[in-house]
Amino acid sequence: MGEFKVHRVRFFDYMPSAIRALAFQPQREKIAVARTSGSVEIFNCADRFFQEKIIPGREQAATEALAWVGDRLFSAGLNGVISEYDLENQKVKYTIDAFGGPMWTIASNQQGTHLAVGCEDGTVKLFEVCEGKIQFEKNLAKQKGRILSLSWHPSGSRIVAGMMDMIRVFNTETGQSVHRLLVERGIGASRSVECVVWGVVYLSDGTIISGDSSGKVKIWDDLTGTLIKSHQVTKWDVLALSVSQDETSVVAGTSEGTVVQFQFLSVVLGQEDKEWVQTRIFKNHTHDVRAVLELGTAVVSGGMDTQFVVRPLLDKIEERGPECVLRKIQFPHRSLVSCAKKAGLLLFQYPGHLELWRLGESDGHGASGSVLPVKRKPEKLLHLKIKGEEHICCSAVSPCGEWIAYSTVASFRLYRLHCDNNNVSITKVSKLPKVLSSANQICFSSDSSKLFAASTCSSVHVVSLSQTVHKFVCTLKPKSGSVQAVHLLAASEDGKWLASANSDREVQIYNLTKMKLHSTVPVYNSGVTAMAIHPTTNNLFMVHADQQVFEYSIEEKKYTDWSRQVQRNGLHYLWLARDTPVTNVTFNPKNPTHIILHDAYMFCIIDQTLPLPDSCSQFYNQLTLRSLPEKDRTKHSHAFKMCKTFKELMFVELMEDQSLVAVERPLVEIAAQLPAPVRQKKFAT
Amino acid sequence: MAKLQRGESECELEKGVRVSVEMSDSSEDEGPEEVAFEESRSAALKSEEEKLQAAKREKELLKEKRRKRQQFFQEQKKKRLLSDTLLEEFDTVPQKQKKLSDDRDEEKDNKQQKLTKSKKKKASRSLQGNCSVMRLKDESADSSMQQSAMDFIQARLYGSGTLRTTNAELLSLEKKRGVKKGAAVQFVNKKWGAEQKAKAEKSNKRFIHRQKLVTT
Repeated sequence: MGEFKVHRVRFFDYMPSAIRALAFQPQREKIAVARTSGSVEIFNCADRFFQEKIIPGREQAATEALAWVGDRLFSAGLNGVISEYDLENQKVKYTIDAFGGPMWTIASNQQGTHLAVGCEDGTVKLFEVCEGKIQFEKNLAKQKGRILSLSWHPSGSRIVAGMMDMIRVFNTETGQSVHRLLVERGIGASRSVECVVWGVVYLSDGTIISGDSSGKVKIWDDLTGTLIKSHQVTKWDVLALSVSQDETSVVAGTSEGTVVQFQFLSVVLGQEDKEWVQTRIFKNHTHDVRAVLELGTAVVSGGMDTQFVVRPLLDKIEERGPECVLRKIQFPHRSLVSCAKKAGLLLFQYPGHLELWRLGESDGHGASGSVLPVKRKPEKLLHLKIKGEEHICCSAVSPCGEWIAYSTVASFRLYRLHCDNNNVSITKVSKLPKVLSSANQICFSSDSSKLFAASTCSSVHVVSLSQTVHKFVCTLKPKSGSVQAVHLLAASEDGKWLASANSDREVQIYNLTKMKLHSTVPVYNSGVTAMAIHPTTNNLFMVHADQQVFEYSIEEKKYTDWSRQVQRNGLHYLWLARDTPVTNVTFNPKNPTHIILHDAYMFCIIDQTLPLPDSCSQFYNQLTLRSLPEKDRTKHSHAFKMCKTFKELMFVELMEDQSLVAVERPLVEIAAQLPAPVRQKKFAT
Repeated sequence: MAKLQRGESECELEKGVRVSVEMSDSSEDEGPEEVAFEESRSAALKSEEEKLQAAKREKELLKEKRRKRQQFFQEQKKKRLLSDTLLEEFDTVPQKQKKLSDDRDEEKDNKQQKLTKSKKKKASRSLQGNCSVMRLKDESADSSMQQSAMDFIQARLYGSGTLRTTNAELLSLEKKRGVKKGAAVQFVNKKWGAEQKAKAEKSNKRFIHRQKLVTT
């Protein structure tokens, strides 16, 4: 198979930001996630929770809440502005100042006509959702405390607002407060602190469910304005509440990392009268849970430990399949590392800066699994801070290591790097073609002569790079006229072909000698997570979010025989059961039949000459093969060679000198930098 | 007062005793002494006059006190006020200033009619009190409100009163209760324990210095 020297890179200090808000869109089954860095990510529930879009955040962002109105996504934050997002181009469409001070919550009514925003100054502002914009309609009666949570009644005639020490029910037509429900403070020391109602939910039968900072979930009746039942769920705060579509299940997220479920059941079997009963507790987080969603078939939660956890409710799922798996999504589904293969450089993309490192060197030889002595340590060549407040959308380094490009939503920058042995100097390329205002994805051609920048409406701009002048060559556009953005680009080794994958599940292949569209890969109903073009055979290798693998021959415009055989055979169930997507595919120039790919917990070499594994054969068979004598190995080996030595892989690439680079980010290092968790006294500690 | 009371009672007792003694001296033999009406009347009148005079004296004393106080206050008031001469000066000057400003305004108005620019009018009038001009762009009240909102949420979740522990503690407890028991992260991973090691070193140095274990 092969012996590789592996550069184990652990100096990429990737730190994700905490999840602050979640919002579910039932029509297209998308979940929008707002993080404390201001970035918004869209996950597709139907496609193995693939992270389809990432809208980068900005400095000093403080997004507090998200709301969907049909296909439109709105957010409200502590900076006092409501933003609408342009999901096709992955940026903010516009912001509108609500003039109410910091905003804590935003909620849309079921009819999709109005948005209500809760402000720091105690007003609930109603906005009318018009075509292309939102318009301020009126303020409801101004209150003396801050409005921390809102929920519309499904009919749209009433709104319940959670404030400090009380809950108010407003009539949306008159704007007056109908009921004032007083929430009692905690016991003991917390009696002196105000009780904050962090979440409220309004059900169609008039029941109001609230979660507050004394750790109680209270059930109120809005007809009489009285408390029906109070459940002490935790010693700490109840930070988030969510109700399912059919209003039979409510989940509450707490500060100690648990998610508690309440269900509307009859206490005695057979009797008609139902009440809200605490049923299950899920402990999937270590830190505070700031947002929860009840999807009916699953409970989605996110909080300060930055993990996006999907916990399926097995009693609601009918068939056994990929939806029955507990998912913890920690890393983004795109690569944040790019590699200059010929120069041995790695470019790390952080939200506010870029870092360029040169890999270390080692001379020694050793047995498999041994640690080699390092002759020259890896060194940081460049720390490039971006100007402005926006975060970086995408970045790339050319294979020769001479060009660095990055893009934010507002700007595009290209730099020329001069690297002698000891001196590193960087010059900014000032005169770029005007077409390059911002890009969703950047790719360099393998000889570093061309730059490909993916832009709006799935188009790709081609710019030729030279010492002096950078000319805009042309724009490649797909025939389908899709408005979605491109999230993956792959250029071929010989410089003739370019492949682009967009959020509409289309993969286009362009002919770079003629500068026009060559062919379109047949549409597959799962998004592409990684793709690459083979250097010699020019086959496009694609891996999808549902772990399916395809190989498409560009010159022949059809799937290859190997790919058809894989589809006929079916992939091994352990391969399909992996829960993290493949984020990078690369090839070995010396062994043209090898394909190297990786996901967060394994890296794998697929050998196309070997037979495919069938369901009864052992899939992870590397160790067994090593124990067998040489002659017997060929009988038992199959095409998928998996290696699980490196954990939490962010990037794996094969350099020109046949050494592998594995960029790891251990979860313990991320956990070290999280904010403080609650102190829990456990038995025997 | 108790003494006075006792004194009085003693006098009365004494008087009583004297009377009774007198009585006892001549009690059996003679009848009571005859006191003439005139004497007793004059004694009563005298005592009344004395009383009246005492009251008068008291009143006069009070009057004197009041007079003195009044005088003192008047003198204080005089000290606080400025002297008359200065007041006269002040009276004349503001009138002059008003006249000047009026003249200036008239001139400016004339100019305005010619130039039709309204900016100068604002510049000429000086702001009264402690006011300053700032651009709306430079400082927004929003940032301070945003900061106070962020402080509120930080205080509620991580402030005093919330029982929080460290990530090191959390991970160490997980290791302790896990399937494969391990030591706390401070001892396993060098980076974790760095702060505590630094603290321990400092406290060691302080201890040594205090105990003067190392003679310099």
